[in-house]
Amino acid sequence: MRIACPYCGERSLDEFIYSGDATVRRPDASAPTASEDYVKYVYERTNPPGMHRELWYHAAGCHAWLVVSRDISTHAISSVELAKDVALANNQAMKESA
Amino acid sequence: MANMLKPTSAFSHLDPLSTPSLSVAPREDLTMASFAAGKDQVQAVMATIKSAYGVDLPRRPARVSGKGIAFVWAGPDQWLAVAERGANRDMERELKSLLSAMASVVDQSDGRVVVRVSGPLSRQVLAKGIPIDLHPRAFGANAAAITHASHIGVIMWQLEDASTFELAMFRSYADSFAHWLIETAEATLPATA
Repeated sequence: MRIACPYCGERSLDEFIYSGDATVRRPDASAPTASEDYVKYVYERTNPPGMHRELWYHAAGCHAWLVVSRDISTHAISSVELAKDVALANNQAMKESA
Repeated sequence: MANMLKPTSAFSHLDPLSTPSLSVAPREDLTMASFAAGKDQVQAVMATIKSAYGVDLPRRPARVSGKGIAFVWAGPDQWLAVAERGANRDMERELKSLLSAMASVVDQSDGRVVVRVSGPLSRQVLAKGIPIDLHPRAFGANAAAITHASHIGVIMWQLEDASTFELAMFRSYADSFAHWLIETAEATLPATA
């Protein structure tokens, strides 16, 4: 599998570290249900076949964090975004909905 | 006491290689510093470097050279400045005085070491341990990359000269890297000579 880093171009898998599900959000630690929320946040994954959004870290390259959309059945990658851009867009969306 | 301290080459076990088709030589005479732009300071850093050295810092993997200095892209909003040490030039001090308010500057002169690989066979030798495409179509003059060479993390760049490369790595990997490079060079040379 090869991942197209937005900075470095297409690089081999051995330059990257997989860092889990990119869709989970850290729960509010002050909520009354925080304990259960954190168990779900850390451990509970349904892991369906098909498209996943994953965090990858370009450890042996430019050290950028990436959000990779990948079909885990075929390894076909449909998009690679900078995690920074994804986070900024999420924050903006949360601000607008608040 | 100070005169008892003598600089020691990190490549103490590397015999420089010089043949018509391949040369390998450590560059012991460099002063280097890495710098990373602070939040929202990229444009200010680029403008400062432009006015001081007359070069545009690259935003993508590449090298730019000015008068007596070169800048290599070292990650998003980060660069490595490389210059000849010459008359006590100190790249960290120089850049800190220019960029102190807008970037983090860290000396790399001793933390990293640089080896130059040149000659018509250099591309072929390096390609045996570097997983990126080194074909001139993909990696040409002033190209740069952060990757690994024989599993050792490197920042590498090509000079304007089509077959001259320089690779910077952490100092403690110098011996291990040199071992790989010389073994690979020796394996390549007779077969193609």
